[in-house]
Amino acid sequence: MITDRTSHAEARHDGQPSIAPYPAQSRPDPVTRAFVFLTERAVSLHAAALLRIGYGLLYLTFLLREFPHRDEIWGPDSPWTPDLARELSHQNGWFSLLTLSDDRAYFEACYILALLTSTVFMLGWHTRVASVLFALVVTSFHGRAVFMTDGGDNLIVLMAIYLTFTACGRRWSLDALRRRLRESAPGRPGPESTDPRSGPSWQQAKMLRSQLTALVHNCGMFVIAAQVCILYGAAGLYKVQGGMWRDGTALHYVLNLDLFQPWPTLSHLADAHDLLIAIAGYVTVLVQVAFPFALFSRLKYVLLGLLIGMHAGIAVLLGLPVFSGAMIVADAVFLPDHALLRFACVGRRAIQRHLTARERRDLPRPRTVTEPPRTP
Amino acid sequence: MSRSDHDATATGREERQATGGLLTAPLTASSAVHQIDDRTGSRRPLLSRSAGLLVASAVAVCVMVTVTHLVLLFLYVAPTNTISTQYEQQINAWIYPYFEQNWRLFAPDPQSAQQQVSARTARTAPDGSTQVSDWVDLTAVDDAAIKHDPFPSHTSQNMLRRAWSAYLESHGDSDTSHSERARMLQEYLLNIAAQRLAARGDRTFDAVQLRVITTSIGPAPAQVSGTRPAQTPSNTRYLPWWQVRSRDH
Repeated sequence: MITDRTSHAEARHDGQPSIAPYPAQSRPDPVTRAFVFLTERAVSLHAAALLRIGYGLLYLTFLLREFPHRDEIWGPDSPWTPDLARELSHQNGWFSLLTLSDDRAYFEACYILALLTSTVFMLGWHTRVASVLFALVVTSFHGRAVFMTDGGDNLIVLMAIYLTFTACGRRWSLDALRRRLRESAPGRPGPESTDPRSGPSWQQAKMLRSQLTALVHNCGMFVIAAQVCILYGAAGLYKVQGGMWRDGTALHYVLNLDLFQPWPTLSHLADAHDLLIAIAGYVTVLVQVAFPFALFSRLKYVLLGLLIGMHAGIAVLLGLPVFSGAMIVADAVFLPDHALLRFACVGRRAIQRHLTARERRDLPRPRTVTEPPRTP
Repeated sequence: MSRSDHDATATGREERQATGGLLTAPLTASSAVHQIDDRTGSRRPLLSRSAGLLVASAVAVCVMVTVTHLVLLFLYVAPTNTISTQYEQQINAWIYPYFEQNWRLFAPDPQSAQQQVSARTARTAPDGSTQVSDWVDLTAVDDAAIKHDPFPSHTSQNMLRRAWSAYLESHGDSDTSHSERARMLQEYLLNIAAQRLAARGDRTFDAVQLRVITTSIGPAPAQVSGTRPAQTPSNTRYLPWWQVRSRDH
């Protein structure tokens, strides 16, 4: 992610010395360059947007899925009673909105708030506020039912907290759409007009703000990337210590757990192939251990593909869609913006083609907008 | 940081801008107008001295926080080592509660046994006699709910499973709760059983007992010479009768 952009930028810089305002030999020292890199521009804005959309959508889906069970998991009638949750919060210092009151109406209001927040966050509307609210909602729900969570929920909590620091609403969001509309609106005073906003102190404040935003965003994205590396590295290293992963039978045991067997026929079918089980187990460990080291080369695309395939398999075979979804979305942090833009472009073109085709079908006779409206 | 640092920042910015629109859509306030200005050589306003200092100190703080977070996170997540033992207090103070995490997913070894939790109820009649119900297999209910569901609920997949593993972790082989946490987890397990039994229509009981049968998953067919053992070893643990408060059901 980050490495790609740096090398790209520097390569171009070296290639075009004539445009630079000063000769290449007076290039600033590495500390200054790092300083500039951190404050100058926010990196991987599209990846940040993808994380926002992914986690917002995932949590929304999760909340809707558990809607019939909401009381049992987070409500006043949960076996993990509000008193127990409060006691635990008191012990570990975890804040949860849900333990503030035992009233049913309050709980339902919190649930509606959670649904709305996830939607608004996913769409990127007033994203900074929405991201803080989203983190508050996710941590509140997690802290209320911590003994019912798994690794996927844990990752969503971490990512929700980290995303509040990023400028994840700059791309592919309602905020971006609104900004574009405002900028293209006619009659708006330009930056050179006599608007008080173009005064020097306003310019200073604007620059300061953009530099600080970029700085915090870059640190946030770096932490997200490092968190994913730590996750995979640790998962791999712990597996190396296990005898079952070494002798290649680990997946046999995983596939035979009844609670992770939504499709028993499929699980037994996979389990019947010892060789396949052993290879898949070894590939899992190797990919996880190698992941942090492969990020600086093109090999990362191969590993990302393998990891996404592995998690898609987990989602179906073990019945863990939220967990797998959280992992797949986390992997997106390593996709450089130019690749994401290319995907988006291809997608948009496909949609456009589809829409034009449908329009042609729906409207056999062409109509023009200049046609005067018919009045009776 | 000094004046020169902040000047360097500003010039650095111009350098990036001057190399053209090579960076896709910078976040900074640079509109197309600004970029054209820079190309033609006009200078953008620099940050004032105080603003530059603010940015410099913000960079220092952010970098420090980021590095600290990642180092402590690594030490927390990695297997216990001499450093993490020595600085355990500082690590825990930083990590808990919000950054707590555990990535031992099916590791070091996946579970090679599975638990089947059953429950039964007892009711004392006014004449003093006690009626005990049949065992209800709570795990089987969860298994049935998960079967053929592409998106199983946490209530079937995690609730009882994690409640039992947390109970086991806090109690070990004894059924006496020696810590606050152990008592809370015992209450949780009891509440789950009582609610599920009550949901089945059995609403007038005074006590609940749990039975946990642990069955190991047999080795892979290829590992077994000859035929697979007909019966895999299992053991049964009976928990004590727990009195139920009236509001539980």
